[in-house]
Amino acid sequence: MTTQTYSRSFIAPLASTTGKIQWFGVVTLAAIILLAIMAPLLTPFGPRDLACIAFEKPSLAHLFGCDDAGHDIFSQVLYGARVSLTIGLLVAVVSTAIAAGLAIVVGVYGGIVDRVVMRLVDVVLALPFMPLVIVLGVYFGASIQTQVLVIAFVMWASPLRELRAQILALRSAGFVEASRAMGAGAWFVGLRHLLPELAPLIVPQFVRIAHAAILVETSLSFLGLGDPLQDSWGAILFHANARAAFLTGSWVYWIMPPGLAVSLTVLALAFIGFGYDGSLAPRIRVAKGKRPVAPEGAGPVAGAAITATGLRVSYDTEYGTTEAVHGVSLTLRRGELVGLVGESGSGKTTASLAILRLLRSPARVTHGAVFLEDADLLALSDTELRALRGRRLALVPQSAMNALNPVMTIGRQLDDALAHGGTADKTARKLAAIGWLEKVGLAARHYHSYAHELSGGMRQRAVIAIAMSNTPDVVIADEPTTGLDVLVQEEIMALLLDLRKSLGLSILFVTHNLPLIARHADRLAVMYQGRLVEEGTPAAIRAHPKHAHTRALFDNLPALDGEKRWPVRAISNMAPVIELRGVSKTFRSFTLPWVKAGAGHKALDDVSLALAPGEKLGLVGGSGAGKSTIARLLMGMIRPDSGEVLYNGEDIARLGPAARKVMSRAVHMVFQDPYQSIRNGLSVREVVAEPLRIHGERDARVIDAKVRAALEAVRLPSTDEFMARRPVQLSGGQRQRVAFARAVVSQPRVIIADEPTSMLDQSVRMEIMDLMEDLRVRFGTSFLFITHDIALARHFCDRLIVLEHGRIVEQGEADEVIHEPQQDYTRRLIAAA
Amino acid sequence: MFYYPRIIGQYAIALLAALTVNFLLPRIAPGDPLNSLLGTDTAETLTVEAKDEIRRQLGLGGPLHEQFVHYIGGIVSGQFGDSAVLGMPVWDAIMQRLPWTLLLMGVALIISTMIGTVLGVLSAWRRGETLDVATMTTVLFFGSLPPFWVAMMLIILFSTTLGWLPSFGAYQLGTSFPDWNWFVGVGKRLIMPVTALVVVQSASVLLIARSSMQIAQEQDYITFARSRGVSERGIFFGHAFRNALLPLTTHVMLGLGSLIGGALVIETVFAYPGLGSLVVMGVNSRDYLLLQGIFIFASLSVIAANFVTDLFYPLIDPRTRRAR
Repeated sequence: MTTQTYSRSFIAPLASTTGKIQWFGVVTLAAIILLAIMAPLLTPFGPRDLACIAFEKPSLAHLFGCDDAGHDIFSQVLYGARVSLTIGLLVAVVSTAIAAGLAIVVGVYGGIVDRVVMRLVDVVLALPFMPLVIVLGVYFGASIQTQVLVIAFVMWASPLRELRAQILALRSAGFVEASRAMGAGAWFVGLRHLLPELAPLIVPQFVRIAHAAILVETSLSFLGLGDPLQDSWGAILFHANARAAFLTGSWVYWIMPPGLAVSLTVLALAFIGFGYDGSLAPRIRVAKGKRPVAPEGAGPVAGAAITATGLRVSYDTEYGTTEAVHGVSLTLRRGELVGLVGESGSGKTTASLAILRLLRSPARVTHGAVFLEDADLLALSDTELRALRGRRLALVPQSAMNALNPVMTIGRQLDDALAHGGTADKTARKLAAIGWLEKVGLAARHYHSYAHELSGGMRQRAVIAIAMSNTPDVVIADEPTTGLDVLVQEEIMALLLDLRKSLGLSILFVTHNLPLIARHADRLAVMYQGRLVEEGTPAAIRAHPKHAHTRALFDNLPALDGEKRWPVRAISNMAPVIELRGVSKTFRSFTLPWVKAGAGHKALDDVSLALAPGEKLGLVGGSGAGKSTIARLLMGMIRPDSGEVLYNGEDIARLGPAARKVMSRAVHMVFQDPYQSIRNGLSVREVVAEPLRIHGERDARVIDAKVRAALEAVRLPSTDEFMARRPVQLSGGQRQRVAFARAVVSQPRVIIADEPTSMLDQSVRMEIMDLMEDLRVRFGTSFLFITHDIALARHFCDRLIVLEHGRIVEQGEADEVIHEPQQDYTRRLIAAA
Repeated sequence: MFYYPRIIGQYAIALLAALTVNFLLPRIAPGDPLNSLLGTDTAETLTVEAKDEIRRQLGLGGPLHEQFVHYIGGIVSGQFGDSAVLGMPVWDAIMQRLPWTLLLMGVALIISTMIGTVLGVLSAWRRGETLDVATMTTVLFFGSLPPFWVAMMLIILFSTTLGWLPSFGAYQLGTSFPDWNWFVGVGKRLIMPVTALVVVQSASVLLIARSSMQIAQEQDYITFARSRGVSERGIFFGHAFRNALLPLTTHVMLGLGSLIGGALVIETVFAYPGLGSLVVMGVNSRDYLLLQGIFIFASLSVIAANFVTDLFYPLIDPRTRRAR
């Protein structure tokens, strides 16, 4: 499942609870500010005028009465608001500006600058806050200006820490990487991408600082460290405290009003900040104990391990209810392996969690029935259900990182599971746990390991061991191979098939990886837009798909045999556009000069390759094979340790600093994930125009003409309406087309396409490949196609290069490599395709 | 191996920076430091020789680097100089008052941690229900009150109006340490300042407990635990709380370090004889050496608390332990 983030405005809509609370804060604060501004109109007295007799009781003339010196307290509170608010808001402005400015600098330079700034933050945060403010105040005087500077000086550090965390995430974001690859300088990225993305976070930081600053100022003034000429709310309380207001009964009108004024202001700010912190907002209350409506006559199907009938799932949000699964019925027979297939957003994961009754609020099952053999899962009590979980019905989740508890050892989590299964004896449990670890291909020593100490594949094995430890009858595997390396995926699949045989499991295998599951499943069930559109054996569905979507899915599967989908272009004897000659590259982590550097990670080892004009070269290999290092070398973003990178036969090292500029025009990269590589805040026009701007084009008419031409080249509408659209309004396929338009606009000679279809839904993948072929034919562009999918590479590419651990292990004509692989690694890749 | 030297180095830098700030402040502040220390009127009445003598006493004479060496030497040997207003060594004055601050702030920190954690965890458990909404509203409100104002309101209610509790000092005058009456007096005088601190402090503990509990509950490992039949109680305490403890511990440990800062205003309201009111005394009487001494002491305690947190963090978070 892809998680999409939608940027939301800081203030929530008035219709929601959060919005109401925020607006209440805004209105209150506005009223207080208005009162402060209008102070001279509201009271005839100045705060220091001798307006009345000492301790005069409140009256119409003196709403809050008078203090011991005959000052009108109402007037003092109004004028005090000016001082308190000025200081609070100014501090917020100054601190936020410092924090945001430094965050951008850190984002732009990173590395050593980041370290220095963060050490500085650590130091400031390690100073005692209040004593520091006081000491600074003593030495630098007590005027409002110095107070603002002093409080701001101690306050910028913690917001910077938060902004910096964000900016580090942004720095590695796809759109920043893309912008860099297009040749953008650090400041171009900083101002055009980082700052606009950071802006939504700066606002809540501002509110938080204002909130804290007003409290700090109040405390300072209360200690008598305020500006002696202008009394803030804190200073009024200082006088009241010092002159024993308690003893006279004047506290009701002397101490209450300024204190309440501070509280109200700070509370208003807290309310405004309320929406930012999602965890503060009360969640919509989920109708508890509301059973889903069971369809009439629903009952277990004979011979079925799982019978799900008419499942409907809705999400309740603050803004209304949306249904994600619209009546799905599914049976899993005993001993069967069923593949539940669908693209992202098809509702397959939601449906499978509904079967397990594991949906988390706000999602809930509204209709339907689920039977495990003859137990009605949705009607069971929590205790009854718990007794079944793990022992008869288990989940193997996608474990990219998070399915294992990070603070518990693997052994402890296995032990818990075994204890639930009824093994009372501790030693027996430990033996059983180790047995399971070995059964899934881990070692006994992993009993004491934590999740972070294992690789992705090992973690998935540990998860499987835990899920299987009570020998369940039914397993629901939710994308258990997603996010793993191609070859590791095969291993995990093999492990599951093995366990299925030895334990006699029935498995519902949820995945978007159609080729993987089609090879192994007894039956497939295809979901599309929350509905089950097709069911049957893989062979039957492939031969006679009933639904248009299923047909599109299978049509888009590249095969290892038969006609190549795109024609081979005879390789001419033209000189190569770009070339690597005997290139090696090792990455070392940063160390101090006198520390002996470690061996580092050898990313490339003596690699040579050449790309002729108009050629399509496929670069195939698992993760860590060195594919992206090659891409970065060819773009001049990194230099080789040894060997040469040539452009038009010339070593680009000789170009010096100009190399980046030359190469960023000649070579353009299209990234894997169009949801990442295109920033949502920009319009289509701005996205496509970016390379032009980076290369200094300023003429609006030229830009407009080129952007339109590029959009036409990738078969997208070039209307004003389309160019004004935001990326969120585009489909995944359209986004990737926009990414190609961004490549085409600067007329590069080479396009490096880094897995350009792997994040797209199966049904649009071929369109994108067709587009690449089209560009090659029309513009003579060369393509370096980076992929792990050797079958797809076989169809598209003229030649293939197979990489393993930074070495070229095999290369040749695409069909030659596929049909007569020489190396074991290549054979394994082909088997996994 | 990797973890410890790095954090030790980090804290050495922080400590040095705190000492340097403390050293430089009076020296880079605008105007003659004597003017800000003694008041312009007093300073102008002094002869040049008298001024030099005071400078020498304050460590303000001679070239800057010599002053710095002298200053660091003094700190290393525990000589913070003599307080002008108290007529005793600054170190002794700090030591005399430290127990009171530790008592007041320690009790407040323990109580607010307990209240904050329990309510925060309950709030996360019952998210969106009446208990949660009520707690959150109360917390937002209490968190917006200036602590000293809460203290003043308490005095008005319990001392001035009801006459139940004394509002002044830390113990009853005329009683001495081991007496029963002494303990009663100390206890009575703790109630109001501790209440004021707890009202304000538990809010932040509660917010952190609640949000880290919520974050923990939404993790995939919770779904996985539930899928294998772990009980709700086991999930809540065994899995979620264990992970939520990490940010909570950091917060509370760092709270330890800022005791002195937190005590400032509350001690002033109740004329409590701790370090906080010593700071205010130093400010009002421009007792430069006293302020400098307390500032160093406060910096040390913040850094020490940070340091201890970092040292013990690997015990509760295996991810910061050295890889096997």
